[in-house]
This record gives sequence, structure tokens and C-alpha cells, in this order.
Amino acid sequence: MSPVIDVTALSKSFGPVKALDRLDLTVEPGQVAAFLGPNGAGKSTTIRILLGLLRADSGEIRVLGQDPWDDAVALHRRLAYVPGDVTLWPNLTGGEAIDVLGRLRGGVDTARRDELIERFELDPRKKARTYSKGNRQKVALVAALAADVELYILDEPTSGLDPLMEAVFQEIVGELKAAGRTILLSSHILAEVEKLCDTVTIVRAGATVQAGRLSELRHLTRSSVGVQTVDAVAPLADHPGVHDFRTRDGRAEFSLDGEHAADVMRILADARITSIVSTPPSLEELFMRYYGSVDEPETEGARS
Amino acid sequence: MTAFAGTPALVRLGLRRDRVRLPVWIAAITASAAYYAAALDVAYPTIDELRAVVTFIQGPAGTLLTGPGYGLSDPSYPSVFAAVYGLYVLLAVAFMNVLLVVRHTRGDEESGRTELVRAGAVGALAPLAAVTVIAVAADVLLGLLVAVVLANGFPAGGAILFGASVTALGLAFAGVAAVIAQLTEHARAATGMASACVGAALVIRGAGDALAEHGSALSWFSPFAWAQQTRVFVDDRAWPLLLCLALAVLSIATAATLQARRDVGAGLLSSRPGRGEASAALSGPWTLALRLERSSLIAWTAGLTAAGVLYGALAESVQVSFADLPEDLLAILGGSSGRLLDGFLSVMAFFNATLASCYGIAAVHRLTSEEQSGRAELVLSTAVSRTTWMGAAIVAALVGALVQLFASGLGMALAVAAVLGDASRVLDIVAAHLLFLPAVAVVIAVAGLGFAVRPRWANAAWVLAGYAIFMGYFAPLFEPPRLALDLSPFEHVARMPLEEPRIAPLLGLLAVAAVVVGAGLVRFRRRDLTAST
Repeated sequence: MSPVIDVTALSKSFGPVKALDRLDLTVEPGQVAAFLGPNGAGKSTTIRILLGLLRADSGEIRVLGQDPWDDAVALHRRLAYVPGDVTLWPNLTGGEAIDVLGRLRGGVDTARRDELIERFELDPRKKARTYSKGNRQKVALVAALAADVELYILDEPTSGLDPLMEAVFQEIVGELKAAGRTILLSSHILAEVEKLCDTVTIVRAGATVQAGRLSELRHLTRSSVGVQTVDAVAPLADHPGVHDFRTRDGRAEFSLDGEHAADVMRILADARITSIVSTPPSLEELFMRYYGSVDEPETEGARS
Repeated sequence: MTAFAGTPALVRLGLRRDRVRLPVWIAAITASAAYYAAALDVAYPTIDELRAVVTFIQGPAGTLLTGPGYGLSDPSYPSVFAAVYGLYVLLAVAFMNVLLVVRHTRGDEESGRTELVRAGAVGALAPLAAVTVIAVAADVLLGLLVAVVLANGFPAGGAILFGASVTALGLAFAGVAAVIAQLTEHARAATGMASACVGAALVIRGAGDALAEHGSALSWFSPFAWAQQTRVFVDDRAWPLLLCLALAVLSIATAATLQARRDVGAGLLSSRPGRGEASAALSGPWTLALRLERSSLIAWTAGLTAAGVLYGALAESVQVSFADLPEDLLAILGGSSGRLLDGFLSVMAFFNATLASCYGIAAVHRLTSEEQSGRAELVLSTAVSRTTWMGAAIVAALVGALVQLFASGLGMALAVAAVLGDASRVLDIVAAHLLFLPAVAVVIAVAGLGFAVRPRWANAAWVLAGYAIFMGYFAPLFEPPRLALDLSPFEHVARMPLEEPRIAPLLGLLAVAAVVVGAGLVRFRRRDLTAST
């Protein structure tokens, strides 16, 4: 089966600014693929090219086997999109906007729509101008997720949602995945990505720097641990899954791979823990660990 | 005065943000005043020639489009400048202030920038105070510059008085706009309502001045009359400008009171809950485009219908005033008083048609705001092609313009029939309006092509509309070369009921419009969508 999204060596410049520089992205059918990267890395630019809203300068792009620029309309019948920053028509209600977007795509499944409106606890009778960012995002999510399509492209869809609604979103994505749909999810939230995604593509400065199955990239999800114990824990330095071990004022700090957490915790418990702090790595920390120089500034200017 | 904390910083921010826009407005208005003033004695080297031309303006139609006409019975270059061209300088300064004030108050508030600013150590009234300071500075500077360029050739006293009228009228409309910006939640609606106020003031002054020589009581309900009743270069008097200043002070105070009582981002005209589902009619790109135009279309149509009725209602006094003219002058002007009434009606039909084309440009401009807000991205990610999306907006603009031509024409026709007790002109007047549709279509097409090249370039059509309006009103005075006239689409339309309709030029205009729209659609299909972030 050919990939749902197949992008090779995609480049795009805005005037002198190189937004994408030979970016690669592959998503197989039925996968939930995460698309990660710092602000300005080129995620949204890539998505806009996948939708035929921007034209690529060079590179091979196939979405559902079609060319997104030439076959935009036919392609758009088979996919649904949620933009990162949702703007609606201020004088239309949320319900009207959902129906309009659905009808423009080809039709609305009213039962599915009503179910999603209820699950997202959205009041569709309010005018869009009175909605908060989260509610605008819900409108776009309901409109997109109610569509019966092969591919869902979601650009930071949960950035305005509260944790409860985020859970609802994750549940629905799980259902779509079970139904064999393909989803491209751009996100900053690593926990969400871990929970939902099969594969991860990480971009930086317009190029793909890491791509693969999440299980293969397990080492990306190290937690930082800071622990104070009564007995010394120096031998941990050579324990599998422990990285960057150092001690300071009787306090041990190290990075820990998730799969070895249980063993390490047992050793720490035996050393009589007095305090422990464990922080999941932020995306930024991951990038820094992965791509070297801490001082290197993030590329500005490229569109996010 | 903590309510004003942060005002100086906001003034600097506002000047920085407008460092191109505001100087361009000021320079353009100053330059056009200088140009009109200088062009007069080039076009009419002798006073006799000037006198001949002024005769055209003294009728009610001329009065509607110029002013109360002080000094036209014994014309001099300065008095003709003030009486004929002064209104257009004043109109420009009114719009400069409306756009300036709405942009810096409701515009910032709607976009959320005010929230960011007010979260700092900034008082509730500081944004309003800052834009007031900027408006005062801009209007005073503009008034001074206009006075200086006019004093180069015209009497200094009158030049200063005209400059002062420019400043005072600008401040009056800055105040009006500040109040209106308090009422609605949307900058677009506020600009629309404030522009409608400028239009209403223009219409009221026109009607009032047409009723009696040098204006009637009705004229005095319009700020434009206050600025024009200064009798500049004829019998200079400054006191009517106090009315402008009083309006400015009162309205700014009102705006401040309203501002202090409401939440950031809220309007006084609140919104009710709407429908939970879209109606069956709202089912595709075409109906969506019409729906988005709906409220603006209703407002414009109401305004144009009212203007049509008002001008139509003047028909009797126009006929009477022409009947008073001596026989030989009537002969020069084209024959009987009925014929001159036809001339008046045809000029007013042209006037309504230019307004309909302004609506058309504003409607096409919705494409720009849809694209820049990111809503276009949402729509174009569905199964709507770019051609359909843009085409729907163009069609909506055309349909809206047609509705307005018809409504203003019918309003004028029925009013004429009512005041003259004679329905014989009804069909001709409606037809006179509808004939302009191909010309309006060309303007809309140019706006579309501009948008297709680059979103903001839709504004290029304003240049064409401005050119057409200029040619339509002033070509008889300047007698420009044929080519210059032909560049205005409106000059290809027969002026009914004065002239017989000609079909061939209309087909030509339609063909031009179709080609330009086609080029726009092709071009838009080929460009990147501008990202919203």
C-alpha cells in the first residue's frame, strides 16, 4: 500500500527566508503520525503545502496519491483539516460554521455532528465572535472530525483546550485510528504524542532531523530525575537507562529512560529517598540533547 | 488621573504604527488642495471664462455636489476653489479621521491588541486619549499645510480660515467615529457606520443647500455645512467652526463616558444567541458569500435608497429654479426646463452609480479580510476550488451592486413621480441607473484582479473609482482629451434620461469586465495563499 502522505525533499522560500529546506515526511495508511518541531520550524508551512494552499518551490509531494496543488478539490473531499489558529466568521454561530464547513466539503452527517458537539460540550448557538480560543478550536474540530474522510490533518488542535477536552480529543482520535483512518498531528505536547502516535517526524529549521516509529525513538522520552537520598547512590551512574549522572551537595541528578524506571526506583528506595523530583523532558530539552549546541538560537523568521 | 496613565507611550506607538499611512493621507490631501487651487487659473485664464463655467455649478445639481455657493455670483479664483473643490478636501479629511480613529480604538480592541496594552500600566481612557492626541496633531498639521499652500496665491486670511475648517471638520468626524467605535464590537461595522454618518452629513448638506441659495435650515444639521458656511474668500467668518469644535469635544467626552463604563472588547449593541444549525439555504460557497455580505448590503441599500428618494424629491424645486432662468441662458444650457431636469436626474443617477461601485469594491475587499484572517484557509481546505471561492465573492459584489442601482433608481423614480405628479419618467430613471451596471462591473473586476495579484491590491480599484468620479463631475470644466475620458468606465454609459441609451459600449464594458475577472481568477489560482500567522 502506498503512503498516504509522501513528501521528499520539499523546499519553500518566502522571499529571502528559506522556510523549508529539503523536508521529508512519510505517513502510512492507518497511522497516527506526529509532526513535531519548535515554532518556526516549518510545520504549518508544510501542512499548507499538503493542502495546496501554498505551492512548493521544489520536491515531490503526494497526498492520497494526488498532487495537492493540481487536484486540490478532489483531494479535499478525502481529507479534513483543523488549523492551528482558528478564525471563524464573527456573525455566524458555531453551529452554522460547522454546517457550512461540512457542506462545503460535501455533506454533513448530522448524527455524528451532534454527537461530537455533545462530547466537546460546545454551545453551537453562540455567535463565533463570543467564543474563546478553545471554543473556536472545538468548532473546527467538530467540523473536521465529523467528516467521513480518509485523512485528518490537525495542526496543534489541542493548544486551546482544557485537560478534560484534551482527553475527549484523544479518545476520538483513538476511535478514528481503530477505524483505520490516517491522522497527521502537529503538536507541542509530548505526552499527547506519546499516547496517540505511532510514528514521529521531528523537523527543525525546515528540514527533517528525525523520523521513525515512536517505539524506536523511546530514548527521546527520558525524564530528568533529581533525588536526595540518605545513602549514596553513586553506582547508579553505570546502571542501564541512566544518563548524564552527576551529584551536587548530596543530591543526584540524571536522565532516565522510561523502560528502566522501575529498576532504578527500587535502588533509590533502598537508599532511603528523602525527596525526589521527576520531570518529563520538554520538547526543547529533547531538541537540545539531540542536536547539540545549547547556545544555538532557534531559527526565526520561518513561518510557524 | 490614572485613567490616562500610559497615554504618551501610546501616542508614540500610534505615530510609529502610522508613520507611513498618516503622512501619506496628509500629503495627498495637501497636494490635491494645492493642485485644484493652481489648476483653476491654468484652465480658465480669464475671469470671464471662469464665470461661464461657474454657471454650470449654480443649479441645484451643482449645489448638491459642491456647496452653498458663496461668491459664485461674482467669481474669483479663490472663491471658486472654496465653493467647488473645497467640499472634496473636506470629504477626504473626514474619511482620514474616521479610518484613523476606528483603527486605533475598535480595530485594536477587536484584534485583542488593546487587551495586551491595557494589561500594562495603562489607564482605561489612555487608548482613546492617545488617538485623540494623534487626530488633533494630524488635523492641525493638515490645516496648517493647506493654509500655507493656499496662501501662495490666495488671500492669507481666507487661506488660514479654510485650513481651520479642514482641521475643525476633521476633529468633528474624529469625535463621531470615537462614539461609534464604542457601540459595535467590530471595526468593520464601526468604519461602516461612521462612513454612513459622513455620507448622511454629505446628503443632508446637499439637500439643504439645494433648497435655498447659500443653504437652508436643513443644511445646518450637517458638519459639512458648518465648515462651508465660513464663506471662505468671500465674507470670512470663523464662528460656524465653533459648532465643529463643540461636536468634537462633546462626542469625545461621550466616547470617554461610554468607554469608562464598559468591558474591554464589549460593544454596547449586544448580540443575541443565534441558530444552532445552518439553514438549508446556507449550503455552498455562493450562498455563503451572499450571507457574509448580507448586513453590509442591507445597510448600503437602505442608504442608497434614501439618497435616491431625497434627490428625487428635489425634482420640483429643480424644475422651478430652472424655470426662473432667462430664456437665452436656458438655450445655452440645453433647452427647456424639463430637459434640464433630465440633466439633473442623469447626474444623480451617475452619483448613485459611483456609490454602488464603492460598495462593490468594499464587497470584493471581503476576500482580503477573509484571506488575512485565515478563514479563507479553512474554506479552501474543503472541496471548494479557488475559482469558485473568488468567483462567488465577485458575483455577490455584482448582485449587491445591481440591487443598489435598482433600489436607488426606483427610490428616485417614485419620488420624482410623487413630487411632479407625473409617472412618465419612472422607467427611464430606473433604466438610467441599471445602465451603469456594466461600468460598476469593470470597477469590481479591477478590484478582483488586484486581490488576485496580492490581497491588499484590491484597493487599486479605489483609484479607478476616484478617477471615474473626478471625470464624471469635473470633465465638463476641464475638457480633458478623449483618451482620458475613455479611461473611466462610467463615461461609456449614456446618461439617461438626458441621452438615448447606447447598447454597444455597454457590451464592450461587459467584455472588459469579463476579461479582467477571468485574468483575476486565473492569477489567483496560481498564487500562494497568504498565511494568517
